[in-house]
Amino acid sequence: MKKWKTALVWAAFVGVFVLLLRLTSPAPLPREDFSLLLQEMETGGIAEVRIHDNEITVTRWDDSQYVTLGVITEELSQQLSAAGIRVAWGPPSDKLRTVLLVGVPLVLLLGLFGWFLRRGAAGNMNLLEIRKSRARLLGESLSVGFDDVGGCLEAKEQLSDLVDFLRLPERWSRAGVRLPRGVLLEGPPGCGKTLLARAVAGETNAKFYWVSASEFVELFVGVGAARVRDMFETAEKNAPAVIFIDELDAVGRKRGSGIGAGHDEREQTLNQILVCLDGFEASDRVVVIAATNRSDVLDPALLRPGRFDRRIRVEPLTRVQRVDVLRIHCRNKALSEDVSLESIADRCPEWSGAALENLVNESGLLAVRRSRKEQDDGPVELVQLDFERALEPGLSEEQRFDAVDSLLVEATTQLAQAVGKALVRVTLAGFTTIEGELVWADANFIKVRTRGQDEALVLGKSQIQSIEALDGTELLDEFSPDPWSGNTPDLA
Amino acid sequence: MDFFGDAWLASRVLVLVPVVLSLSVHEFAHAFCAFRLGDDTAARQGRLTLNPLAHIDPVGLLLPLLGVPFGWARPVPIDPSRMRGASLEAGIVLTAAAGPLSNVLLAIGATLAMGVWTRLDAGAAAAAGPLWQLLEWLVLVNLLLAVFNLIPVPPLDGSRIVDGLCPAWLRPHWEAFARVGPFALVALLLVPALLGVSPIAGPVAGLQNFLDALYDVVAG
Repeated sequence: MKKWKTALVWAAFVGVFVLLLRLTSPAPLPREDFSLLLQEMETGGIAEVRIHDNEITVTRWDDSQYVTLGVITEELSQQLSAAGIRVAWGPPSDKLRTVLLVGVPLVLLLGLFGWFLRRGAAGNMNLLEIRKSRARLLGESLSVGFDDVGGCLEAKEQLSDLVDFLRLPERWSRAGVRLPRGVLLEGPPGCGKTLLARAVAGETNAKFYWVSASEFVELFVGVGAARVRDMFETAEKNAPAVIFIDELDAVGRKRGSGIGAGHDEREQTLNQILVCLDGFEASDRVVVIAATNRSDVLDPALLRPGRFDRRIRVEPLTRVQRVDVLRIHCRNKALSEDVSLESIADRCPEWSGAALENLVNESGLLAVRRSRKEQDDGPVELVQLDFERALEPGLSEEQRFDAVDSLLVEATTQLAQAVGKALVRVTLAGFTTIEGELVWADANFIKVRTRGQDEALVLGKSQIQSIEALDGTELLDEFSPDPWSGNTPDLA
Repeated sequence: MDFFGDAWLASRVLVLVPVVLSLSVHEFAHAFCAFRLGDDTAARQGRLTLNPLAHIDPVGLLLPLLGVPFGWARPVPIDPSRMRGASLEAGIVLTAAAGPLSNVLLAIGATLAMGVWTRLDAGAAAAAGPLWQLLEWLVLVNLLLAVFNLIPVPPLDGSRIVDGLCPAWLRPHWEAFARVGPFALVALLLVPALLGVSPIAGPVAGLQNFLDALYDVVAG
């Protein structure tokens, strides 16, 4: 396709060349003897003669032309007129050719430079585009309801007012009450603030605009405010709508704080948010939900009545609520009979909803991996063991090397104290095992003398997968890496 | 050819056609060489193409139309540090040399085409149809481009070749010169033009003689 385009452009260029060459230097007319003119004058085949100096261009009735050299005398001129032939003087002029000569290249160049302009304009479009809000409209398929939110009972209770307002605004306006248009969700990371906001949108079928406060700020000053305006305008156009501003503290920090304490871009953005919050008419079914886990640093103006005046604290989950959350996240997964979500909830005290969701997902991953290993093509079922394993703190690569490290430090100490021989079994990254006497260990490598060998084997520490003590030291405990981590260290 | 009167614009656009096509080949050669050496900077910006539209520069195109006998295409960006196929210096030299080399090859190709054409049709040269004239223009334009770009004055390709080959002890002098390169180039172009001579006429004439001989051999 692209190659064809290139070939096409080349063909066009060659075509332009040929066309313009034809126009600038047209094919020369055939030259004939002067006698032919005289002869044809007699026989009457000539329509016009054009005389320019001694060059005579003859046009026949059938539009064919030729050029001849000669001098037209007074007498001959009269003869020509008598024969009904038009006689013209001056250089041959071809109006069409003149028009084409200037017109064709002009049109081509205008087209080309028009194309340049459009290409340039396409580059400038980014500047206008940058003023657009980055708020994403959440698709219907991702919408959730309050049923999908485990725990957070108090928050749900308070938000249900909002839901009702978005559904049946008349009821509230008839009663003459003003509803909070800004709701601030506070709570530790991962406690379900975003999920709650989505649930509000899901419960009401309102449009859900989701933006992180840090997305307002860009390279250019003023963009933040422009984006806030754009976001609110878009939401108003598509009411009922829920605007969700995540991590509000990114722009909502107390004004006048920070370096210079002056008027900066962040404050300008914040001012615009404040103005836009005020600007809603009572009929506007737009609700702003903001989330933060640093409500203590927020600007007081954000929290005054009429703005984010409804502050909802999302509390840590109780045990019963954790079971609820686990159950919600297990809804789309097959659970084995032996799974006790209660016992799992017991083992994750103070865990946030996000952590629980991650736990369930992790267990699912382990279950899929297990069934793949067992080559079981049936539906994957999560068993209690999967959860147990997911709960086990797996050893990361770093932790494993730390463990090898501490073993070696101990071994070195022992060697220095000359307690005796330390027999070890070293498993390398490629699962080669070496058994022998540990004669040297330091921060970078160890030396192991295998049985019957004089030379000790030098092993780089990064090659070592695990070390096991065989004899001679109690300090070298067995160390084996996490069987589920699965990957071998690929350090060179 | 009539460069005045009715045909002034048409003539200039006419001459631009072989120039733009040759420049496209020139810039493509830079991009292609860099790409083969492992640097896809130009390719990712859509410059690894023979399509003239990707290479032409509005101002570089406008000046020749206004009668200034000087124009240019958008330079192909390269990043020698991405080249794996050659050392940094070799990468710069090869990529820089690829442009003029491609023009020489194109001139030779056009000459061969004309020679073969003459062999097939003895009257082609005398008839001098549009395509024949395009080939003639291509030969001349490519020779001029190749020789001109090899002038070792920044920002021309020749300077990059010198840049890559410059020994360390000469480098300070070379870089001092490179700083005033563009001015030196203007002087180099203007002064001979005012005196009515051309600094590249000699090499171009030499190459033309070679190509004439080549044409004669092929045409028989």
